[in-house]
Amino acid sequence: MEKARDSKRSLQTARILVGTSGYSYTEWVTAGVYAPGTKPGQMLGSYAAMFPVTEVTHTWYQMPKADAVERLRRQVPAEFLFSALLTRTLTHEVDRGQWRREVARYRDGIAPLLQTRQLVAVLAQFGEDFDRSLEHRQYLAALLDELAGMPLAVEFRHDSWVHGRVSAELERRKVTLVSVDAPPLPGFFPSLSVVTNPELFYVRFHGRNAPGWRSGSLVQQCTYDYRDEELQEWIDDRILSMAERARCGVVFFTNHPFGHAVRNARRLGELLATAGVVEKRRWMSAASFT
Amino acid sequence: MDERSIVHLNVADFAVAVERVVDPRCKGRPVLIAPEGAVRASVFDMSDEAFERGVRKGMALRCAKRLCPDAYVVPPHPERYERAMHELCKRALPYSPLVERTDSNGHVFIDTTGTSRLFGPAYDIAWRIRKAVRTELGFDPIWSVAPNKLVAKVATRLVKPRGEYIIEAGEEEAFLEPVPTRLLPGLEAEDLARLGEVGLFKVADLRAWTLQQLETMFPGRGRFLYETARGIDASPVLPFGRRRPVVTREYDFCGDTNEPVALEAALYVLAENIGAALRAQRLVARRLWLFVDYSDGTRLVGQTPLERATANDVLLFDAARRRAERLWRRRVRIRHLRLTADRLGFPHSQMGLFQDLEGSRERWEALMDALDALRERFGSGAVRVGRTLL
Repeated sequence: MEKARDSKRSLQTARILVGTSGYSYTEWVTAGVYAPGTKPGQMLGSYAAMFPVTEVTHTWYQMPKADAVERLRRQVPAEFLFSALLTRTLTHEVDRGQWRREVARYRDGIAPLLQTRQLVAVLAQFGEDFDRSLEHRQYLAALLDELAGMPLAVEFRHDSWVHGRVSAELERRKVTLVSVDAPPLPGFFPSLSVVTNPELFYVRFHGRNAPGWRSGSLVQQCTYDYRDEELQEWIDDRILSMAERARCGVVFFTNHPFGHAVRNARRLGELLATAGVVEKRRWMSAASFT
Repeated sequence: MDERSIVHLNVADFAVAVERVVDPRCKGRPVLIAPEGAVRASVFDMSDEAFERGVRKGMALRCAKRLCPDAYVVPPHPERYERAMHELCKRALPYSPLVERTDSNGHVFIDTTGTSRLFGPAYDIAWRIRKAVRTELGFDPIWSVAPNKLVAKVATRLVKPRGEYIIEAGEEEAFLEPVPTRLLPGLEAEDLARLGEVGLFKVADLRAWTLQQLETMFPGRGRFLYETARGIDASPVLPFGRRRPVVTREYDFCGDTNEPVALEAALYVLAENIGAALRAQRLVARRLWLFVDYSDGTRLVGQTPLERATANDVLLFDAARRRAERLWRRRVRIRHLRLTADRLGFPHSQMGLFQDLEGSRERWEALMDALDALRERFGSGAVRVGRTLL
């Protein structure tokens, strides 16, 4: 607790933004997140009234297209920020002969958000089979070179990447290493509070559903509802110390089923505000979600 | 009700994709699917490489080989394509019972509406199906997610030969606006020519026209064009195993012909057979499709909505003939005709407002009933219409 109070004093200017991974889930209407009758095309506008930032997940599934991204951008206020996942053809399904062309397409597609300075990060999230082999290290280095100039964050899921040289290299490149909260599974990248980029720290809450994580079902993988103690522990043990070492931080909840992500993000925001780390934000007054 | 969420899977050049899985010799080179031994064989399907060199479906194999001399020619194996289609659908069935396939051409629609609490967002479902298809069957389907079948189909056409496209509900109009009209499903060459004549090359151009203007300029097609340009399509995805009901009849000419009398006679026989089949099921049709196969392998297809749903031979024939007149313009002989009636329904029992027309309709129906009764009793050849006696 003493540690938390000390941190509060040194965080007068820290900016921590909390949101969810994705915003367009039809079940969030029945979960009470969005008003009855909200159409998928209207969800981002409603979401932006609750949170200041979101992760765009569909850029992992499909290469972003500039016109679609521009339409997305127009639905939110100018101060709203996006983090966009890097497309799967650059992280999970890489064609060694094509990937540089894919990077160029990604840059073109995401350009509207870069131009308006609404892109807080491009998140390169690698799978559990992406270990720290020579081939993967070489690919990652080449990929980061190719993506240079964009705000980058990297999320590993294989524990072989827990290595001093990895964080040192990310630090040299000013690339953010993503901190994750995930089920304690063997071989899975652990929860760290390493800050490799003084501009940005990045946290993702995946839930702790160990039996569902490798079920092959996205819903089972992400179904988890965080308790207050678990969130408070993260604030005290990691978020406060990370906020001391970076100018800005973003925190996302990926446990979207049943609207848990929204509930947990709002609660984390409240706890951060109670700790005096962030100002009371708009989500505190959002009455639509119970 | 939830906004609909439709996934469309499209395996480009399906027959070639199937052959490439079965026969490794097809990989990495242009492929033509055609019955090589036949005297006047035509191309059934071709790979992307062959398409880029100018080969088209229905082209005479001899011409295709001239354009693409290094092509590997494989005879069509319909049973393989049918099995592959079944396997493709099987990968989608765990996610929804509403899985509709078209013919054996690699197109599958999946309605995932209301499944998000079980399986997550539709685009994740689409990606998982595509992953299973790729790993287990060896195809790499294009996929799209959209609020209806029309928009989903345009989306896969846009990214062909590989890729994906996600369109949220409410984005249909903005998505379609820059799309060329030639990519809209349901438009025939003739429609496109008419649209081109009045300078409507993009969907945005089409949208500038009112319904009334479109109906005046494109009689019978105005509403279709109006709704298509706005991404409106309420057609459901049928449950797996259920095909859209149609009645089809085919006619092979003994020798290829372009004699109008012979063609009309054949068309009347087809209309007569379709009318009889419809009446036997107490159904009426709202649309006709005419497929014309020329002796050089070219196939022209036309459709015509029926002003009034009918099972009457004469009305079916009149509509088919009007459509045929616009397809029979090539100076090449015709080998085969196929007439298909779809959009089937039950006849209206409501009386018409105009007694004269109603009386004439009743007389026609009485005539059809009498002909059916005679044929049932004495055989199909017992009564024939003069124009079919050649």
